[in-house]
Amino acid sequence: MRLLKKQQLAAKENLDKRVFLEGAAGTGKTTAAIERIKQLIRSGAPAGSILIIVPQATLAAPYHEALKRARVEGAGSVRAATLGGLAVEMLDLFWPLIAEEVGFARPTQRPHFLSLELAQYYMTRFIQPEIERYDLFNSVRIQPNRLYTQILDNLNKAALVGFPHDQIGARLKSAWAGDVEQAAIYDDAQRAADLFRDLCRQYNLLDFSLQVILFVQFLWRREPPRRYLTRRYRHLIVDNIEEDNPAAHDLIADWLPECDSALLIYDREGGFRRFLGADPDDGYRLKALCEVQLELDNDRVMSEEVAAFRYELGRSLGRRVPAEKPNAADARDAIRFADSRYLPQMLDWTADNVRRLIVDEGVSPKEIVILSALLPDALRFALQTRLSERGITSRTHRPSRALREEPAARALIALAKLAHPHWGMPAEKYDTIFALSAAIHDLDLARARLLVETGYKNNQLIPFAQIADPEIQNRVTFELGGRYERLRAWLARYQAGDPQPLDHFFSALFGDVLAQPGFGFHRSPDAAAATANLIDSAREFRQTVSRIEPDLAVAPEYVKMVDQGVIANLYLRDRDPKLRDAVLITPAYAFLMSNMPVDYQFWLNVGSSSWGQRLYQPLTHPYVLSRGWKPGRIWTDADEYATDQEMVYRIVSGLARRCRKRVYIGFSEIGEQGIEQRGAVLTAVQGMLRRLSREAAGV
Amino acid sequence: MTLPDDFSFSQTSLSDYADCPRRFELKYLLEQRYPAPIVAEQLELEHRIEQGARFHHLIHQHQIGIPPDLLTRHLDDDELLAWFALYLRSGLDDLPQVRYPEIALTVPLGDHALTAKFDLIAVDLGERAVIVDWKTGGRVPRADALAGRMQTVVYRYVLAKGGAHLNGGAPIPPERIEMRYWYAQGGESIRLPYSAAEYARDEAELRRLAAEIAARADFPLTEETRRCAFCIYRALCDRGDRAGSLAEWDGEGESDDLSGFTLDIEQIAEIAF
Repeated sequence: MRLLKKQQLAAKENLDKRVFLEGAAGTGKTTAAIERIKQLIRSGAPAGSILIIVPQATLAAPYHEALKRARVEGAGSVRAATLGGLAVEMLDLFWPLIAEEVGFARPTQRPHFLSLELAQYYMTRFIQPEIERYDLFNSVRIQPNRLYTQILDNLNKAALVGFPHDQIGARLKSAWAGDVEQAAIYDDAQRAADLFRDLCRQYNLLDFSLQVILFVQFLWRREPPRRYLTRRYRHLIVDNIEEDNPAAHDLIADWLPECDSALLIYDREGGFRRFLGADPDDGYRLKALCEVQLELDNDRVMSEEVAAFRYELGRSLGRRVPAEKPNAADARDAIRFADSRYLPQMLDWTADNVRRLIVDEGVSPKEIVILSALLPDALRFALQTRLSERGITSRTHRPSRALREEPAARALIALAKLAHPHWGMPAEKYDTIFALSAAIHDLDLARARLLVETGYKNNQLIPFAQIADPEIQNRVTFELGGRYERLRAWLARYQAGDPQPLDHFFSALFGDVLAQPGFGFHRSPDAAAATANLIDSAREFRQTVSRIEPDLAVAPEYVKMVDQGVIANLYLRDRDPKLRDAVLITPAYAFLMSNMPVDYQFWLNVGSSSWGQRLYQPLTHPYVLSRGWKPGRIWTDADEYATDQEMVYRIVSGLARRCRKRVYIGFSEIGEQGIEQRGAVLTAVQGMLRRLSREAAGV
Repeated sequence: MTLPDDFSFSQTSLSDYADCPRRFELKYLLEQRYPAPIVAEQLELEHRIEQGARFHHLIHQHQIGIPPDLLTRHLDDDELLAWFALYLRSGLDDLPQVRYPEIALTVPLGDHALTAKFDLIAVDLGERAVIVDWKTGGRVPRADALAGRMQTVVYRYVLAKGGAHLNGGAPIPPERIEMRYWYAQGGESIRLPYSAAEYARDEAELRRLAAEIAARADFPLTEETRRCAFCIYRALCDRGDRAGSLAEWDGEGESDDLSGFTLDIEQIAEIAF
């Protein structure tokens, strides 16, 4: 690979130094880092002595892909990790060394690592009753899960920024100058955080915040664990430090003097993960700790037209841009803009253009990404349907797709209720109809309804032969009746034996019946994947919860939590390799965090105010709870406006920097909520187009 | 489906291919999750796997310097305690002092790569290297059966091919490599020395296997249908509707990739925040 001179300074030279490399996205920083890794290995460094640290796993994807293909021995086994990953690994190994001193009620027992799903469960189980008892958050109208997420978020921020968790409420209040109601919410947020932290200490539960605290404040300061890491990893590659948090920055600052070499990479226009604790300003201090400081400024991704578009859009957003344009190209040539009245028209326009690119112009589907500020289910479904109708394969990446909404998972939960009448949780009639239809191949909802209307009594399915009305048997057909009977008999046999753990029940039901020929999950990759995810979730729940509360009936508790939307409500991994060459539909943030440029981007709904605007989070505040926030300063509306504008610019600029050829900008005057849209991106694009037309006309 | 350029073979994937090419395709090329039980006695298997994982974890902790008394003080599993005591008594007999627990090595294999994840490599610089694999299953196979196992073939080959950096930069000659299986239930140890001739034979065979897989357009089902009772894909392949019995299973309960049983640390960390 041909490298520019400055890239070579990071990739081929200074291999025994600490190097700080900064530049915008698309200037070849990660490329230089990948070449540096190869060069280190060629120079004799064992692949296992190189550690890539990234703020989140998706940002390591370019490394994984490039190193696996590299013709350098061992390159494929270079490890990439996040702060969280290192914390879990180290705590799992070295817990016995610190167990006595960290103030947990059961120091002699192993800790339990909590996923967000399980943390939310414990919030529901133990903190919700306290919230009700003390009437906390009585003025807040949001879903309980979002409440819990923000309580956890506050604990995480305290851990990552490095202040005691009992200062959360005071910090938030000190920056607030509005009504007392909001101040009371901050007091309640403190109370809930205290309660949860006490619960964790009582039961050895390690949520993310405690994982970070114990790793950074205890293990890292003890000689054996620290030596374990610093001797093992002699060469550090730290990418996207602007997206990482102060705790990670502290760790790296401490590690730098002890390693043989390091390359720290900083994207000057990043900071998209601020709401997750990213602190670009804090990360920039690491520059001073490096002997070699390099800047890359030659963009290697954008076409001249896209670069001009990015420049002009920046002007329209009120940015101070260089007086001289980046090139002579016309920004308008980089975009296609559609002004639709309604959302479906915009979606049709999108799908038509995607099809034209792929079919008429021969563009690879993986070079196309469809982006929106948020990706609600309705939008995802509408888009995928339109693309599918045009013969286009697509995949989605949404960080919070609900597993419990997958048809296979819903069917399994209903069948579990049928198989466990002693839970006292009978399956609803509609759920049973749906479950039978999903479970039995060719059984449509109408015939499933017939079966349930006549054959479902007292939470039990009766044998097909006992359905008294032969007309119904005929309408269902004896073939489908036979399949129904096989499923029913399996459930009856199961009931006659000892109840099994729920994940084992799901697995056996899947393997013995549902995945067999004639049943709905047979040769259905989606159903198999959803079942596997549900089993993982149920197993993790059982293995953690049953150790903490051995007397709790874990299986019905799990099902109850699924019904309430607490569990199985999270990320579903997209693992189908057949979909690698597919059009990606994703929220803009997730795409920015994938570190993978494409040829064509579609920006949907640019009139939406969600582009850049902070989510409504009444219990927390990413800027006030940051390290750089000055105590006593008040957060004002002007701050809110300025940060929103800044974020809008960073997002659109970041997207443009990850686009090689063209941006399709979709807009519908009436948004999903039926309201006219005038968000900042739309205003900027329209302003840019008008201004460029005036300038072209010499007006 | 063809083999991706960046595919990395392992002893497990090669064993799967040897057992059934279709299983290899489903598991590694199509990455098809298929959560049917491996054996009928799921609880018992889960217990064995968890016990095996805890034992390996204990040894890893011990090898990185945590004192045994801190590790065992509150172990609540008598069997595990007994295994660990036996390990302390005889598991480390005659092992070189430089130890690399839980280490992975990757070497080229034709146009692809081959990765081995070792429980422990112990090295006497310039002298010899011992690969140790801890086994918690009850059955102790004969040495000649172990010598023919894919695990033995892959581990010894990978260390000889790619272990130079563990030996001060000099390749470890095959005749200085030993593979040792240590059985926790009775403390038996089976030692399998290596040789240049075996290395040459293994290299030829591994290359041939990798080339055969890479050239395949289709991946047929195994003709040994008895294996299907212990395969998660049996329903997908119309090869039965019941998992086999644990007593008849020849797996070990401590495989590194029994789908769903491994804790994906990176994933947890990601979800956590």
